[in-house]
Amino acid sequence: MPSHVQELRVEFASSYRRFNCTRRFSPSQKFALGAIDGSASSSCQEQSSQDKAVKNEIDTLNFKDPVRKLQATISSLPPIVFAMRRHVGSNFAIGLCIATAFLVMAVRIYMVRKSRYSRPGSVADLVRRGQLRSDRRGISRPLKYDDPFNNPLVKVGKSNTTVEMCGKVYRLAPVTLTEEEQTIHKRRRSRAYQWKRPTIFLKEGDFVPPNVDPDTVRWIPANHPFATTASDIDEDLAQNNVYQQHGVPFRIQAEHDALQRKLEALQNDQKLNKLVIDSSNAKDFERAFKSHSKPLEHGEESFSNDHVGNSKSSSSEQPPNSFGSAASSEEMQKP
Amino acid sequence: MISLQFLTTPYPPTPLKPFHSPNTLKPRFPKPYLPTFTVRSVLQWNRKPQLAGETPRVVVITSGKGGVGKTTTTANVGLSLARLGFSVVAIDADVGLRNLDLLLGLENRVNYTVIEVINGDCRLDQALVRDKRWSNFELLCISKPRSKLPMGFGGKALVWLVDALKAREEGCPDFIIIDCPAGIDAGFITAITPANEAVLVTTPDITSLRDADRVIGLLECDGIRDIKMMVNRVRTDMIKGEDMMSVLDVQEMLGLALLGVIPEDTEVIRSTNRGYPLVLNNPPTLAGLAFEQAAWRLVEQDSMKAVLMEEEPKKRGFFSFFGG
Ligand SMILES: Nc1ncnc2c1ncn2[C@@H]1O[C@H](COP(=O)(O)OP(=O)(O)OP(=O)(O)O)[C@@H](O)[C@H]1O
Ligand SMILES: [Mg+2]
Repeated sequence: MPSHVQELRVEFASSYRRFNCTRRFSPSQKFALGAIDGSASSSCQEQSSQDKAVKNEIDTLNFKDPVRKLQATISSLPPIVFAMRRHVGSNFAIGLCIATAFLVMAVRIYMVRKSRYSRPGSVADLVRRGQLRSDRRGISRPLKYDDPFNNPLVKVGKSNTTVEMCGKVYRLAPVTLTEEEQTIHKRRRSRAYQWKRPTIFLKEGDFVPPNVDPDTVRWIPANHPFATTASDIDEDLAQNNVYQQHGVPFRIQAEHDALQRKLEALQNDQKLNKLVIDSSNAKDFERAFKSHSKPLEHGEESFSNDHVGNSKSSSSEQPPNSFGSAASSEEMQKP
Repeated sequence: MISLQFLTTPYPPTPLKPFHSPNTLKPRFPKPYLPTFTVRSVLQWNRKPQLAGETPRVVVITSGKGGVGKTTTTANVGLSLARLGFSVVAIDADVGLRNLDLLLGLENRVNYTVIEVINGDCRLDQALVRDKRWSNFELLCISKPRSKLPMGFGGKALVWLVDALKAREEGCPDFIIIDCPAGIDAGFITAITPANEAVLVTTPDITSLRDADRVIGLLECDGIRDIKMMVNRVRTDMIKGEDMMSVLDVQEMLGLALLGVIPEDTEVIRSTNRGYPLVLNNPPTLAGLAFEQAAWRLVEQDSMKAVLMEEEPKKRGFFSFFGG
């Protein structure tokens, strides 16, 4: 018997899972023994000694794990009960089986949960690897707000003189400021600070425009780190840009228009060329146009910057088939 | 009308609210009465503050001195208002030293700023950054860091912005909150131009208070009548040891109504670094609750009626004997 126990012990220590399996069998064997010769007193003694052996053996395992400890306690209970009431043996066996089954289930759930958490590619895994932030995962569940004046963390005392916030009790002192005091302060300040909010910002050294009150001018140093008075856009246009709700933003539109005009001019150019040159040469021209498209865009930007205020009118002034001007710009840009 | 009034305020006014008084004298603008409105559906939700004043409420958050917590206040009060169900547009008017986007964790989503809108490179709606956590919160930055704001239009540009937001198709926002830069030069002037009320953030120390007094003077000269103050970084333990001015001392020096008192809280710095405003923290923190209360008062145009003083030792229950 002891050798058998020894063997068991080695097995127990090696694998927790196997421990469960073997544990499920060994008591039932033992009970079978008890059921066969339950009347014999000698066998009873033998059985109790056997039980003792099992118990000792389990005791040695106690330090391994609290779960095992619990198990061991459960399995160490039977001998005492058994010695007193032998006939409930089979009932007890069933109970033990159920208990073990539950234990196995619990362990399995635990393992599954653990594996789910560390499964590569899962959200939890992404959070662990710092790719995602657990608190910033898109739209968070709308917090149903509490009344900030009356919630589990903020409780006003019965007498209105204390408040408990986040577990600390504070005394409440009433605000004593009166309307009169407020107006006294206001009057004091209105005497001390006389100010007119500047409505116009000018660069230092500029001339004050006529019909502008010099008191309402704010002088901006020419080398101000964040501010400049220069802007390449006039006021009405800027206002319209802010008010615009639909459609293509102004400058994008202007740039697009300018480019469109250039393209049309070039196409006209091409048409005229086609009259003179044969189709093989047209291919050449297209390639040339492609290589030119880059510098053309640069030219456009400066163009739109200069004429940003009146680009609409300039577009009408320049008919798309103004061949001469387009050709001349072509000439200019040729290296 | 009486019954309607009753329906819109289905909860009994709680008597235990010393630092928040339901001021019934002020004109209220109750939301339009919906036919499907039932008392029960309101009771399922918690209380909501009553919006006072006309929308949009254009609030500038200013201080004079730098680094006292204007941006922190803007982010937290703004998001609290959004959580309370109001539509909010927060404008970062801190030219050159923009950091509201960082506090809100929206720094990667700012593609366009007001400069681009003015220049016609994009429309206003393209420059508004909608927060994914609270979709009724939008951020608008004035300029990109390292770029200069063309100041030629003075404060007019911000007035246009407010007008454009009013005229939006999805409706005018309830609150436009402007995070003002420190100091009183061009950036400050630009930021306060469209505002009709102001929140003055100060810390309980004399340098901050002197700047605050000056700024209040300028705001008053500009005709902003509704100015309330927010005292930030208050340490009740230091006040108790007489090492720090108490909130009531501060109030005596400035003579302003109190919107809120924010305690010094290490969570503020942590939330700044996370880009996740304090008021969204769950469980709430002391400073977060204080910001939420301040936001509530801002909605109701209310002010504090009592302030927290020093801590009292918590009364120990019977079971504290046993270490409970
Ligand atoms: N109640 C508080 N407790 C602890 N730290 C705080 C508190 N309020 C603000 N701070 C810290 O103070 C610093 C400055 O805050 P914030 O950026 O909001 O100030 P600011 O007034 O906007 O500054 P600036 O004038 O530069 O715009 C931040 O690092 C913030 O974390
Ligand atoms: Mg700031």
